[in-house]
Amino acid sequence: MSDGEDALPPAFQRRNHYPELAWFSDATRAGDWPAIAAGFQRLDSWAAASVASSRVGDVPGAEVFLRQVVAREPSALSATLLGSALISAGWRIRTSKAAEHVSREQFEALHEHLREAEQALMGVTARDPRAVMAWEDRLTTAMGLQLGLAEARRRYDRLARIEPHHYIAQSALTQQLCPKWGGSWEALFQFVRERAAAAPPGGLHGALVATAHLEYWARADGEEADASLKRAQPEVWAAAQRSVLHPSFRPEPGWIAAFNTFAAFFAFGGAADPAAVFFRGLGPHASTTWWDYLGDGVEMFHAYRTGALGGPR
Amino acid sequence: MITETEVDGVPTLVAPHAGQMHAGLVFRVGYADEVLARAGITHLIEHLALFRTGQADYHYNGRTAAAYTEFHLRGSERDVVAFLTGVCEALTALPLDRLEIERQVLLTEESGQSLTPAHLLAPWRYGARGYGLPGYLEYGVPVVTPDEVVHWTRTWFTKENAALWIAGDGVPAGLRLPLPTGGRRWAPPVVTSALPTTPAYFSGPLKGAAFDAVVPRGAASMVYSEVLQRELFRELRQASGLSYTTATGYSTTADGTGTVTAIADALPEKQDAVLGGMVDALLTLAVGRIEQSDVDAVKAKGREALSDPEAAAASLSAQAGELLVGRPVRSVEERLASLNEVTVEQVHAVAAEALRTGLLLVPRGHTADWAGYTAAPTTSTTVVQGYVYPVVDDPEDRFHVGAAGVSRVIGEEAATVLYAECAAMLVWPDGGRLLIGFDGMRVAVEPTMIAGDPAVLHQVGAGLPPHLVVRMPPRDPSQIPRPQVPEPAPEPERRLFRRRKGA
Repeated sequence: MSDGEDALPPAFQRRNHYPELAWFSDATRAGDWPAIAAGFQRLDSWAAASVASSRVGDVPGAEVFLRQVVAREPSALSATLLGSALISAGWRIRTSKAAEHVSREQFEALHEHLREAEQALMGVTARDPRAVMAWEDRLTTAMGLQLGLAEARRRYDRLARIEPHHYIAQSALTQQLCPKWGGSWEALFQFVRERAAAAPPGGLHGALVATAHLEYWARADGEEADASLKRAQPEVWAAAQRSVLHPSFRPEPGWIAAFNTFAAFFAFGGAADPAAVFFRGLGPHASTTWWDYLGDGVEMFHAYRTGALGGPR
Repeated sequence: MITETEVDGVPTLVAPHAGQMHAGLVFRVGYADEVLARAGITHLIEHLALFRTGQADYHYNGRTAAAYTEFHLRGSERDVVAFLTGVCEALTALPLDRLEIERQVLLTEESGQSLTPAHLLAPWRYGARGYGLPGYLEYGVPVVTPDEVVHWTRTWFTKENAALWIAGDGVPAGLRLPLPTGGRRWAPPVVTSALPTTPAYFSGPLKGAAFDAVVPRGAASMVYSEVLQRELFRELRQASGLSYTTATGYSTTADGTGTVTAIADALPEKQDAVLGGMVDALLTLAVGRIEQSDVDAVKAKGREALSDPEAAAASLSAQAGELLVGRPVRSVEERLASLNEVTVEQVHAVAAEALRTGLLLVPRGHTADWAGYTAAPTTSTTVVQGYVYPVVDDPEDRFHVGAAGVSRVIGEEAATVLYAECAAMLVWPDGGRLLIGFDGMRVAVEPTMIAGDPAVLHQVGAGLPPHLVVRMPPRDPSQIPRPQVPEPAPEPERRLFRRRKGA
């Protein structure tokens, strides 16, 4: 899903986030399977595994290399990473453009890739129902293949039996629960509030609440959109206090996206001071997510950042 | 302990049984032996044969299945003798004066029945013949002639094609089976296929998902069926509450293979998850993630059932069927021994075979191509050579009427029925015809739709043998398809022109 990322300034490129995992891309380009396999052994969280899997899968041509690996030494890891690479390859063909600018052939190629990914991944979860990474990717295939809301939820529930606080998987389901993907605001808010409240303090989960409010904002009409963000500020601030602003918070892969979401939520709602907290927390990192709703994502990020922090720092 | 003997030349199985005697007379004939255009003729004969005995107050019943028809009764020895004698006498001289009434009884029975998942799956797997026929309407019931009924009875309901079973203290004194003779023992129905590729799927009117598969016959397949049920129940009912009912079944077909069927129901908004859960459960077992504890529990349950003193008696009906197709009668001890030998590896092998041969029924609006299942054919790959007649309201829609059959072609999709592979042609007095091919394909030719000389209709299916034709009663005019775009008020000249153009 690195589509178009090359054109972005380095701070905005996802591959530069979490530099400790960047070498997975290099190892994939080098076709060094032993290094990749050993690297996954050393990871200490599902969040890290999720990002590392994207680093591998996002390398163009990774699916060709991983098909060979799967044929040579089939394993849960190789099949899972093949699934992840096929999802990325499919999305590279589809591009991230709006659906009306995507051709029928592009959609067909996406679906072909997603079906192959799904079949690799379902084999993994069948052999090992505790395969968290494969269940996570099966949330993505379910969405792309439009298998339905209840099926996505079933997959999430299977994953949550093993890891009930998987923030990145919860973020994926959050998308599916939006009305644009067949869900409802009611289901969306119920899910994010429940998961944020249930998570141990100091995680990233509070950002799910901010995400839900931003999704609502993006679909609501002018006045209601702005009013909804203002109304939600106390709730989102409290959620942030319990998560990334909690003393026990330690950055883990996913934190940049989480801080960026909080920053966008408060910046769009005109709350410069809380927004500044998150802009500062981001340090040199940046993202175009959410900001690109208002125009050029890079420009908007900088404009709001300057507005909140009172000038470039 | 099952004893093999003979009553009046009919092979007979006897097993001890506490309480009232239970006995059944089984014939090697069923739906799978019929043709679609005469489907239900066996069922009709079963009803006619029971008419006389039905006057008395017995716990009797008849049952028509795919390859067998059975008459059975629970009662005193005297009742059993009277019942079986009555059935045999009725089969020798059917009360044909009852034919019209029994036709109505069966049509009423049919209209009150809802299709089971097995009925929905059968036509897609086997087509409009053989084992696919239980999934079709009994088109023959309203139209079979008395001669056809008599001929069918003489062919199939004979002494040579029968077996008897008795659960009780032995053959009741004075039991005779005065059946017509001069027939033969019939081989099992041929197993046909309408699926070019498996695993396959189709969508149908079911709230939930269903599956069937062809597996080797034997204890391992029975255990697989039960292990699958445990997996479905755990995942779809216990863990998620997505289904209220999950069920599986294992049965054997007369040709010697086994069939496993599974179903999981769903609330309308949960159907996609039930489909996903069933797909995952089938794959879980097929890749070999089978819990030893599940296999052990199923075997223990099976052992318990076989240890029941009634186990031998309870198996008699099925064993009589086996005997009719030439397979050995198996004692409870033998079945117990095969059950005990079942291993996880054997269940794994069955599970893999089940997935390879599987047919999945998905809810409407869903697919299973994403899971590696191929869509079962819904169109034909061939179009007959012949005259082409456009359908009046759509230039992309036309009939091809040829010497070999008839096709309807809409855009790039075709439905073709070849006369040589025609299972039935329904004909209405208004001229409408519906042809159904062995592969299940349907072509409806309607006088109101065809832009041409209506006389063309009479060429369609003209050479079919009479037993493939079903003359239907007049239709309500609202049921006759009309062009979809309302036409301007017809003027005589215009119609004439149309006719000439199309002719």
